[in-house]
This record gives sequence, C-alpha cells and structure tokens, in this order.
Amino acid sequence: MEARFKIAPDGASVDEAGLKYDIGDFDGYAVEVGLQITEKAGQGEVVVYSVGPAVVQETLRKALSMGATRAVQLETPAVPTDSLAIATALAAELEDGGYDLILFGKLALDSQNGAVGPMTAELLGLPCVTAASQLDITASSGTARRELEGAAEILEFPLPAVVTIDEGITRARLPSLKGIMGAKKKPLETKPAQVSDSRVTLTSLALPPERTGGRIIGEGAEAVPELVRLLQTEAKVL
Amino acid sequence: MANVLAFAETRGGELRKVALEAMTAGRALADALGGELHAILLGPSGIESKAATLGAHGADVVYVAEHDAFATSAVEASAATAARLVGAGDYRVALFSASAQGKDLAPRVAAKVKAPVVDDVTQVQLQGDKVVVTHPMYANKLIGTLSLAGAPVVVSLRPNAVIPAQTARDTRVERVQPAVDPAAARVKVKEMIRGNTGKPDLGEAPVIVSGGRGLKAPENFALVEALADAFGNAAVGATRAVTDEGWRPHQDQIGQTGRLVSPDLYVAVGISGAIQHLAGMKTSRVIVAINKDREAPIFKIADYGVVGDAFEIVPALTEAVKKARAEQ
Amino acid sequence: MTAPRTLPVIPAAYQPELPLDRIILRESPDAEAVPMDVVIVGGGPAGLAAAIELKRLVKRDNESGGGMGDVEIAVLEKAGGLGEHNLSGAVVNPIAFRALFPELKDEDFPFRAPVRGERVYLLTEGRAVRLPTPPTMRNHGNFVASVSEVARWLGERAEAEGVNIFTGFPVESLLVDGERVIGVRTTPSGLERDGSHGSSYQPPTDVTARAVVLAEGTRGMLTQAYQRWQGIGSENPQIYALGVKELWETKVPLDAVVHTLGWPLPPDVFGGTFMYPLEPNLVALGLVAGMDYRRRATDVHEMMQRMKLHPLFRKYLEGGEMVEWGAKTIPEGGYYALPERRYGEGVVIAGDAAGFMDVPSLKGMHYAMQSGIYAARAIFDALKGGDATAERLASYDRMVRESFILRDLRERRNMRIVFQKSGFYFGGAKAALMTLTRGIFPGRKITAERDAEVPRVGGGSTAFTPDGKLTFSKLDANYRSGNATRDDIPSHLIVGRDIPAEVAELYQHMCPAGVYERDGDRLVVSPANCIDCKATDVIGPRWTPREGGSGPKYRRM
Repeated sequence: MEARFKIAPDGASVDEAGLKYDIGDFDGYAVEVGLQITEKAGQGEVVVYSVGPAVVQETLRKALSMGATRAVQLETPAVPTDSLAIATALAAELEDGGYDLILFGKLALDSQNGAVGPMTAELLGLPCVTAASQLDITASSGTARRELEGAAEILEFPLPAVVTIDEGITRARLPSLKGIMGAKKKPLETKPAQVSDSRVTLTSLALPPERTGGRIIGEGAEAVPELVRLLQTEAKVL
Repeated sequence: MANVLAFAETRGGELRKVALEAMTAGRALADALGGELHAILLGPSGIESKAATLGAHGADVVYVAEHDAFATSAVEASAATAARLVGAGDYRVALFSASAQGKDLAPRVAAKVKAPVVDDVTQVQLQGDKVVVTHPMYANKLIGTLSLAGAPVVVSLRPNAVIPAQTARDTRVERVQPAVDPAAARVKVKEMIRGNTGKPDLGEAPVIVSGGRGLKAPENFALVEALADAFGNAAVGATRAVTDEGWRPHQDQIGQTGRLVSPDLYVAVGISGAIQHLAGMKTSRVIVAINKDREAPIFKIADYGVVGDAFEIVPALTEAVKKARAEQ
Repeated sequence: MTAPRTLPVIPAAYQPELPLDRIILRESPDAEAVPMDVVIVGGGPAGLAAAIELKRLVKRDNESGGGMGDVEIAVLEKAGGLGEHNLSGAVVNPIAFRALFPELKDEDFPFRAPVRGERVYLLTEGRAVRLPTPPTMRNHGNFVASVSEVARWLGERAEAEGVNIFTGFPVESLLVDGERVIGVRTTPSGLERDGSHGSSYQPPTDVTARAVVLAEGTRGMLTQAYQRWQGIGSENPQIYALGVKELWETKVPLDAVVHTLGWPLPPDVFGGTFMYPLEPNLVALGLVAGMDYRRRATDVHEMMQRMKLHPLFRKYLEGGEMVEWGAKTIPEGGYYALPERRYGEGVVIAGDAAGFMDVPSLKGMHYAMQSGIYAARAIFDALKGGDATAERLASYDRMVRESFILRDLRERRNMRIVFQKSGFYFGGAKAALMTLTRGIFPGRKITAERDAEVPRVGGGSTAFTPDGKLTFSKLDANYRSGNATRDDIPSHLIVGRDIPAEVAELYQHMCPAGVYERDGDRLVVSPANCIDCKATDVIGPRWTPREGGSGPKYRRM
C-alpha cells in the first residue's frame, strides 16, 4: 500500500497521478488460497471476478499471472461505493452455480469495507464464513478457523459456500515469469455489471487529524502514580 | 416516528463492552431522531438478566431471544433474527459493533433487508434524510465521510470509538423467538479456542503494550508481558527492529509492513517512534510512551510520556496497574 | 576491543568477495527454461533504449525483406514496477531521445520542463556566493526530468514495440557455457527467513538468450562478477559517489536549476548539492558526495538534512512537504575507470553498469540511452550474421568509442580524480585548467584509489536531531521511499565476520537507509531497510538480489 495518498481537488477522491493499481493484499490471499486448493486437489479451476472500470483488468491480469484459469470483468463506470450494489452484480453473475467455493478477501484496502463477501452469500443463499485465518477444503465440506477477540472458533460448513480470507492464512505468490507470459493468452471476458442503485456516496476525504501529543508528565518511576491517575481519570482507559 | 435498533454483542452469556458502546451511540441517534432505541440481546438461557444493563445505557426496548447456541456467534440465526426485527420496525439505523462478530453479522442483515451498509465507522450522525458516517479508508491513511440514503441503513461501529455512557431508561423487555433454529445452522461451531497465550489478538485488543530495541535483549520482553498481563486485556506488540532481530515473531510487528492497530490504549516501551512504526499505531486512542531519550519522536505523538529507564518504570507501572484494577 | 578513534581502518580488509560460484553458473538451463532471443537485465534508460532500438531494427529488416524473423526480447527488472528503482537528478540532455525517436519532438518526451535559468553558488554555513556557471555545467537546451517517469514512458514505448517487460524479476546468476553467456536465472520468491520454501514459494526461472545486455545500473552485481570472471580490468578502479535525493512540494516556487559547492560538505569530501524544479512547486533536491571521504562518520544523508537548513534551500522548503526520498550511488571514475572491454561472448554492458557517467556535467542518462542504442545495433548485426560472438559484438565498443560518450569522458578524464588527490580548492583550480585545455592538462593519467582502500579515520559527524518537518531520520526518510519490503525474507546482504566497531561505524554512516547500525561493539543489520543504492557494496557488505519487488517504490525520482 502507498505510504501516502493525496486527496484530489474534488475533495472526495484520491489523486491517482503516479499511483499503481495492484491486487489488494487480502484479495491476493484469496486467489492464493484458491490456487492452493486446486493444486492440492489436482483438479478444478480458479476463475476471478472483479466489478469496476477498465483499471480492474490489471488486477484480474495479476490473478491470471498467479495461475487463475480465466477472468471476468463486470463492467461499471466506477467502482461502486455501495457494497450491496457490488454484491448484487456478483450474485446475478453467479446465481447459476458451477462452483464449489467463492472466495473473497476479508477487506478491500481502499474502501476498508468487507461486506461484499457475506452480502453475496446472503443473496445467493449460501453458507458463509468471514475472515478465515485457516481453511481446509474437502470434496463436499470445509473447515475454517476464525479469529475473535482473544479467542477463535473452528467452523464446519457444507459446499458450495462463501469464505472471506483473513491475513495469516498464506502469502500471495509472486507471479512467475511463465505465469505472466501465459496470462496474456488467458481469457479475460468483459460484460456489463447488473448493479443495483448505489445508496452510499463518498462525500469527502480528509487526512486524519494530527496527533497533538507531546506531553511529558515526568521522569522515572516517580511519574508512575501520576500516569496511572491520568489513565484513570482523564483518558478513562484503566 | 423513526427508531434505532442496536445489536448487543454477547459471548458465552456475557455482554461485551462493545454492546454498551453500541447502546451509547444508538441512544444519541435515537435522541436526535426523537425516537426510541431498541436493543437485540441474543444469548444462552439467562441472558435476559443482562437487559437491565442495556437499559441503563439507553435502551428503551430490549428484544431477547435465548438459545444455547447463542453462547457462540451462531451467525446465521443471529442474522435472521436481527433481520426480522429490522424489517418489522420503523428503523432509520441498525447499529452493530465492528467486532469480529459484528462485522460478520452487519452485512448479512443488510443484505437480507436490502439496506446499504458501511463497516467500521468511527462516527454516525443524521443529516436531513441521510445518515452520515466517518470511516477510515486507504489503510487508515485517510478518513472518508460517506452518506447513506434510504431507511433502514446498517452500520457497524468501530470498537472504542465511543465511551459507554449511562442513561437510565424505563426499559421494556420483550421475548422473541429466533427467526430460524440456531441448532439447524449450516455453518456449525465445532470448537471454541481461547488464544494460546491467553492474550487477545493485536488487531482486536483494547490495550497493546509494545516493545522496541530499547529493551536491549529478548528476555527483557518479560517486563512487557507482565505489564500486558496486569492490564488483563492487553496484547503484546513489537517494532520491526525487534522482529528483525528475532526477539519476537514477525506476526507481532506493528507498523507499515506489519499490523495496523488502533487500540484504546497503546503503551510504547523503549520505542523511538520511526514513521514506519507510527504508521501502524498512530490511530490509537491514547498513547503512552516510556523512553530514556527525551528527544525520541514517539514523545511528539504520545498523550502521556515518561522519560527514563524502562527497567525501572515498567515494573512500577505493572504494580500500579494491578493495584488499580484490584481496587475496581 | 575498541581501537583508538584516530587509528585508520581500511574497509577492504573487511569486505567479503562476491560469491562468483553462485553468480556465474556453468549449468545447462533448466528444462523449463523460457526461450528468448535477447535478455536485457535492467529496465532503466539503457536497457529500455536497447530494447526499443533492437525491435525497430528487426521490424525494419523484416519490412525490407531482410528476413530477420521475429526476435523475442525480455527486459527483466527487479523493481515491482518500472521506474521504482531508478533515481537521478535529473537534468537531461535530450540528444539520445532525439536519436531513438527521430519521429518525435522534444515536447513529446517525458520531460517536466526546459531549463529556464541556472545558478551556481558556493555555500558557507549561513551564506551563498553566486559563482559563474562552469562551462561543463551549462544546461541551456537541457530538460528537467524524473528518471522514474522516463523509465515508465520508455517502458510503454517498448511494450508497444512488442518487447516483453517483466517487472519484479531480479537476476541472480548468469548461465554460461564455456566463455559464453547463454542465459540468466531469476531469484526465487516466497522464501522464509531461514531460506526454506514458504507456501507461496516460486522457484527461480531460467531464461535463455542468444545475447544478454547487462544494463543493471550502478554497481551491478552481474557486471562486477562477469568482469571478475573474465579478468576484465580498467586503467583506474571505478570509484563512486553517493547521492541522497528528496522531492518536495513547496509553497514557494523555484524558477531555476541550482547547484552548490562547499558547505555542508567538508573540504575533504568531493561533491555538491542540486535543486531542480520539476514543476514550480515540485522541487527535487539532493546532495552528492564522493565515497572516497576520509572520516568514517561522514554521513551523506545527514549532510543532506543539514543542507536544507541553509537559507538558500530553506526559503523554498519551509511549510512544504517532503513527499519522496531516495538514494543511489553514481559511478564517478569516468574515462579511466571504464572496463577495458564492454562486451564478451553473448554479452554487452551498457549504461551506468559500464560506468558511462560524466561528473563535470553531472549527467549519465543520455550516455545510458545512447549506449543502449549501440548495444542494440551491435546485437542486431551479430544476430544477422549468425550469432552474438565477442568478435561481432566488438562493434559495440567501437560505436561507443567513436561517439560523444567517450569523446566527453575522455575530455574530462581527470577532473573527478584530481579531487581525490588535491582536495576541494586545489582540485577545483586544476579542474578549471582541465576544462580550458579540453583535458590536455595535466597530460597524464591521475591514478585513483579504490574507495574500499581509502583509509578511514575517526570523526566526521556531529550530533544532529531531525525535526520531522524539514529534516528526517534515516528510518523516517526510508518510509518516504515507499520501501515496504517483506520483513521475513532471507538477508540479501553478505556481511563480513567480526566487524570491528570502527568499521560498523563507517557502515552505519555510509548507508543512507538505516540498514547498518553500530550498537556498542556490535553491528546490527536490518536488510529490509535496504533501498538498493549499493553504497556499502562499494566498500563493505555485498549486495545481492532478493525477492522481486523488494526495495523502494520511487514514483518521481
């Protein structure tokens, strides 16, 4: 991810000059998980989908170069800000089945939303596990681990299912040279997306407020009672 | 007259702190609307006893469903039950917590009732016929303001974004049935695991105690561990310099190339405060820095700085925190 | 343990050898090898110019019935994207662009602006004295540009010509058969810290080629290894400078190209500073220092930070924002440091890798591109004649020798080295004489010393606390390079054993990126901080390639 983003003059988008589009970290993990499942099984194919304008083709191409079999771009003039609109387009495309598993990244790094996966599952009526940090898939069922605050749960579910992928499960492979060459010949289909009306609008972007810290309350162990008092009475964190 | 629905998160039959945060935020919205705050409380038998706490934090009505499967998240039945309640009332906003459970639940409920959803919001308010939320974007490097049209809208509230406040109400408790049988869920909880260290995950912990190169040797992380234990709910993090040296595992690294965290309280011990590290933790609500170098950049962003030897200060702080918690 | 501060250390005594046995592989290519006709290592100005020129020659040949057939070219670039590892000033002489793209006009090239004015100053700590612009530094007719942008632009042209560009593929070995280079092997990816294969492991790929162009840039590892293996020497050793550069969005516009001499460089350090406007309010500034300095705590990054406190720079920068930071070494040896041949069986060496860089005019990009063009012509003729034998590729050296590249370098052959011998003021006077006599003075070669052999004494640095607004620590600056290298890959740096504290101190200050730190008597190494500037490779720990896409992500450097 970029170290710095510049807000465009319209105040509600990012200045894209010099930015490079790449697959999101979590989406990369999801592609990798899919590839590892088919490689381990010795059969099956990984098909990648993306909803958005032409720039998403770069992301799809990256997934193809990692090893996905084919790609589908569901075209929209801009990436919708409404997760339900994206999920609607995906569900319309995927309603006829033909898959055992639909994988998503847990979160999109730009929008920082993780709703599309579970929403798509609901629209398709499929069982769903979000934020899986481990995943084991057999012919007809799956087992996933999901991290909770200070705990974890092990979940079992039948296929077909939707799983969104958390970090820690795997790293995404870097595409091989052969993979990149092969990706140029793999099919990338573009068709119009059947999105629902977007009811979410990004009205403005701002830099987070600068922290106004810089208060040194004392030196050495003698400062500890004052620190604890402030944590209790002022910061209310103890 | 429009109302607000808020989901009160429980685990193992206990209310979680985020439930009270959701009530507090929901109460403020209900007041702005001139409406009521309705709470959803799902849990194993006996959970109804927690309704009073929700009332004390602003709920006018508490819908309670008891089923032993609700000791875990039982997300399918929770989503169906919440969606039925959302669909049955006149709600402007349905509020969840942006916890592991709430982030799982909110989009499912939204999809069931065909409502727009935004995850992980830090503020939620009403502006005319829109619900306006702020939400961190671009790896927390920007703050987006989003406007949601229609009713209801679904949002999940970032943990620690509001401080729970008590507003006693004359609360009605209504028993409801789960919308689907929780025992018949397709996704089944096979096992619940407590974290193997007993400490929460860095991404979710309300308190993080983090150590840097200033600790000088890997064995000195025992001090950091002890302080984390004293807080009871703290995770232990580290800087890249420390994980590079192999003093701590790479997955404990907080920073641009490691975890991005945003706890209620971040205690930086022996950390100078390179931007690489700050990029991973500067959205923490309260930052405490302990460092022997008064010029260390970490002090520029710390709410409370203590200059001095971590080997003296941290044990003293550990004892003081234990004492403070024992007195509560 | 600690020796007295004044005792000089010779860095060469602690410098490991390059592992030639891992770099020059007498192995048949893997059965899975990707067959190419020409492999170009490095997607900078030299490599991309070579790729474009060669594709065009082939196309022209086929169109005119020459029957060359298809020539598949692969450019292998270690950065995650083109331009992300390229760093230069840069004021560009457009001559090579015009040669490569005769159909385009100057305004079509990826330049930011023509040079509209230029000023040279001699600095003292608080003052700036305007000097007349030395003839070699006159930039009328040249253009301010970002080499990152140039590389991306050339990449688009190359792809349009049908060149295969693979970014994220460092080359770690040359495959050889007898004396002949027959291909390359890329680095693997997905390794764990201990070298084991992670779940996303991808093995190295062999790429075979009838000809290989080494266009690796400054201090190229393959180029060094090839020269060692082939026993290719030079009259003088190559010597280097280190440049640290920042890009600032300023509140105050800058209208001219500015160069300075003097402060904050001490008299024993050869170098200067620059400040160029990419846009009126987007300013590139940097400090360049020869690495043959004598004091081991001399710190180029730190001098660069101090420089910004001078009123000359400060008045532009104050209230602005530093948006990018980076560093790179520069081959400064000039004419006498060029390898005695820049070709061999199946291989040519182009651009900075060969040392085509002129210090007096502070330029190398046009030499890099022009040498790439010649490399393409030599390879085209060789392939046309059968195969790329050394005998056929010798035409590359001939073209370089007869061109402005060697004419310029020969004229200024002693100008840099004189400073190593005579210091700033006498060196400056002698350089002026050299300019007047077009290199005839002093009539002989001045012998240079390898940077690693220069004895380093104590001192050189004073305590400096960055303010985080105008001045930055190395780690904070590193963040602005976009460096987000995976932390848990194996170390790519080969560090000598039992490094004494004095040498650790030298490494710590020489490395602009905070890779090396002296902690008491211990040397702490943080390889993930490395931005591939190659500085310490010159005098100490050796740089080798690591997982593709590691290192900086320069946008407009």
